[in-house]
Amino acid sequence: MTHTTTTGGNPEALRAEVRAWLQQNVPPGWRAAQTGTGQDMFVRSQRDWFTKLVKAGYATPHWSAEWPGGGRSLAEQKVIYEEVARADAPRLILFFVALYHAACTVMEWGSEAQKRQHLPGILEGRVWCQGFSEPNAGSDLASVRTRAERRGDVYVINGQKTWSTLAQFADRCLLLVRTDGSGAPQAGLTYLLLDMKTKGVTVRPIAQITGDDEFSEIFFDDVEVPLSDRVGEEGQGWAVAQSTLASERGLTLVELTQRMRYSLPRIAAIMRERGVADDPALRRELGRLIPKVDAACALADRYLLKRIEGTEAAGDASIVKLAYARTLREFTLLGQRIAGLQGQYREDFIRGGGMETGNWPFDFMNSYNWSIAGGSDEIQRNIIAERLLGMPREPKNWVLA
Amino acid sequence: MSTAELIQLRDSARQVLGEAGLAASESKTWPLVLELGWLLVAVPEELGGLGQGLAGACAFHEEFGRSLAAAPYLPAMLAIDAACAAGKADWVERFATRDFVTAPLADPALTLSDGKLGGTASAVPSADLAGHVLLCADDCVALVSLKQAGVEWRERPTWDATRRLFDLRLSGVELDPGLVLARGEAARALARRLAAQRDFALAADAVGGAAALLDSTVEYLRTRRQFGRPLALFQALKHRCADLKAQVAGAEALLAETLSRAGDDLASPAAERAGQAAKLQACAVYARVAEEALQLHGGIGMTAEHLCHLYLKRALLNEHLGRGGNRYDLDLAEALMAVP
Ligand SMILES: Cc1cc2nc3c(=O)[nH]c(=O)nc-3n(C[C@H](O)[C@H](O)[C@H](O)COP(=O)(O)OP(=O)(O)OC[C@H]3O[C@@H](n4cnc5c(N)ncnc54)[C@H](O)[C@@H]3O)c2cc1C
Repeated sequence: MTHTTTTGGNPEALRAEVRAWLQQNVPPGWRAAQTGTGQDMFVRSQRDWFTKLVKAGYATPHWSAEWPGGGRSLAEQKVIYEEVARADAPRLILFFVALYHAACTVMEWGSEAQKRQHLPGILEGRVWCQGFSEPNAGSDLASVRTRAERRGDVYVINGQKTWSTLAQFADRCLLLVRTDGSGAPQAGLTYLLLDMKTKGVTVRPIAQITGDDEFSEIFFDDVEVPLSDRVGEEGQGWAVAQSTLASERGLTLVELTQRMRYSLPRIAAIMRERGVADDPALRRELGRLIPKVDAACALADRYLLKRIEGTEAAGDASIVKLAYARTLREFTLLGQRIAGLQGQYREDFIRGGGMETGNWPFDFMNSYNWSIAGGSDEIQRNIIAERLLGMPREPKNWVLA
Repeated sequence: MSTAELIQLRDSARQVLGEAGLAASESKTWPLVLELGWLLVAVPEELGGLGQGLAGACAFHEEFGRSLAAAPYLPAMLAIDAACAAGKADWVERFATRDFVTAPLADPALTLSDGKLGGTASAVPSADLAGHVLLCADDCVALVSLKQAGVEWRERPTWDATRRLFDLRLSGVELDPGLVLARGEAARALARRLAAQRDFALAADAVGGAAALLDSTVEYLRTRRQFGRPLALFQALKHRCADLKAQVAGAEALLAETLSRAGDDLASPAAERAGQAAKLQACAVYARVAEEALQLHGGIGMTAEHLCHLYLKRALLNEHLGRGGNRYDLDLAEALMAVP
């Protein structure tokens, strides 16, 4: 790979450069500014931060070298994520699907015309969402039912997607649809790049338990999508979707585990605030949490190193995700326990503030993002047992005993 | 230090200990340790060692844990490191090839007054085979002859059949100036260095044991059939094994990461905390794996002939060695709370 910056591909030189840049550019007091605000303010601040990162070349290190900021090695990408965590910068969640899922899918599977059409738009701040899950297709993604019927040079879409993160702000959607119901479920899927402004698309935000409405339902009523917005061949949707799901390649968990480690002092802070800094029982719980957080960091780190060396095994990623989800749950539970009755009084929350904002019940509720979305803990356990431990897979057919 | 070299060493250790058999006796494994020069792994090259440092030592501790070998490798390694750190080049070769020096695996309660040592040291492995014991007291680190007047020892049989532990009682034991390794600040630093190594070694032992026991438990579930199918088909059991696998992988990754975080200055506060984190996590995971493994084996796991209990008892003992099972969490919390 070629490198476009002055650091010539040396990760440690890049570290110093990124660190200095972040020091200058992370909006001071952003946490306070994002507390208790509406979603419009959140969107504006995400845009500002996105624009800065794109300009500096730090939003697209994983893009190929012909793109601004692109052509970074995995080791360099890791450095950027580590530094972003260290600087406690806002998370770029509004643009995550665009920068990773959409960009990587288009780069890997898109035609030249599709690349020209979509990639520059992502850099300009177009928001994408992922429309895979449906009311009856969750863990079992292959059972997607949203229909796409081919009529001339369009597909006509009818059906419903759900849990689509930030779809209410999205310009485009990565849409997985069924074009054929006859064969194996995976074989009848097709992948489309939907313009969210198309007639017949309705987005309805879903009120979440945290008081936020981060995800939405999307309804399709005779929505016409040009054939030219299909990625891959008809019937190849499953394979394309696998690329989408693999696109962030462990980097997010490097960032999130590091953020969790840097957030450990928040537990110390709440203990002081509540006057229980010397409580031996709580100290013991904190002391047991610390090496678990360290272990989650070490796992994420090691996984990425394996990817860099090309020694990753099937199932390794599941270990990292499961360990993170479980540790995050324990972390937020402990914070909540220490916060006590005071924590149960409702307080404003921070949008885009990461998983450990210090609003403990909010953080606790949010931790389910990681144990449910993107392959639940149970699905990860299946994968670990079957792929890494060589235990048998579930029998295909079942009857109640 | 080259990783390839280390992997080669580890593989040969695994092979040798594998051939010796699970939970091989001290009389079988100790001569192998001496003969194959395994005590020289961490010794710097300029002192005639292999120069593999603490990471090298831990690769071996892991193999001892995996195979449940009974040889008192850990205390011997501590004594050799103390000799290296104190610049006693001539002792290194002796301790590594002939004269076994032991050391307590738990913090001793000793006091030094008027040059005389008194108090107790517990969890001292294989003291009956040792000429000397390495002891840290107040601001002095020294070797004490086990035959010296005022030194009494007695064996304390433990549940863990793969270790033979002794209690030492010292009263008015005259320190031999020729056997003093360090005094004052240097002694305190050496004691911290030794405590960190003890933590890392116990963590490595635990990681090796936990990984081996989980493997053999999964293997058992794959072969044992009930209800007309292998037990490994039941998701309730698969998920428990998957959780254990994630925990073992976490402890392994943490051990590797803390070893590199600790670096060469093992007397530093950073190394101390790194060792504590590795020890606490690895021993907790080992105990958890052992607890689950017995349950997952059913009745056979409760028989003396089966390997489950050997791992279980070593895992339980490991948790209480070092600074003691109830200190690590509090110490780690203390270090975090101390940062304003
Ligand atoms: C915060 C959040 C954001 C999301 N964002 C998006 C998005 O942007 N786009 C998108 O397409 N989707 C998104 N999702 C959807 C997500 O991928 C699904 O929720 C997830 O796949 C689980 O599906 P489900 O909710 O239907 O649960 P189900 O699959 O119905 O699972 C219910 C329970 O059964 C368990 N279970 C299921 N199968 C098995 C099995 N084989 N063995 C054992 N246990 C099993 C599950 O672990 C879970 O505990 C999001 C979800 C959340 C929570």
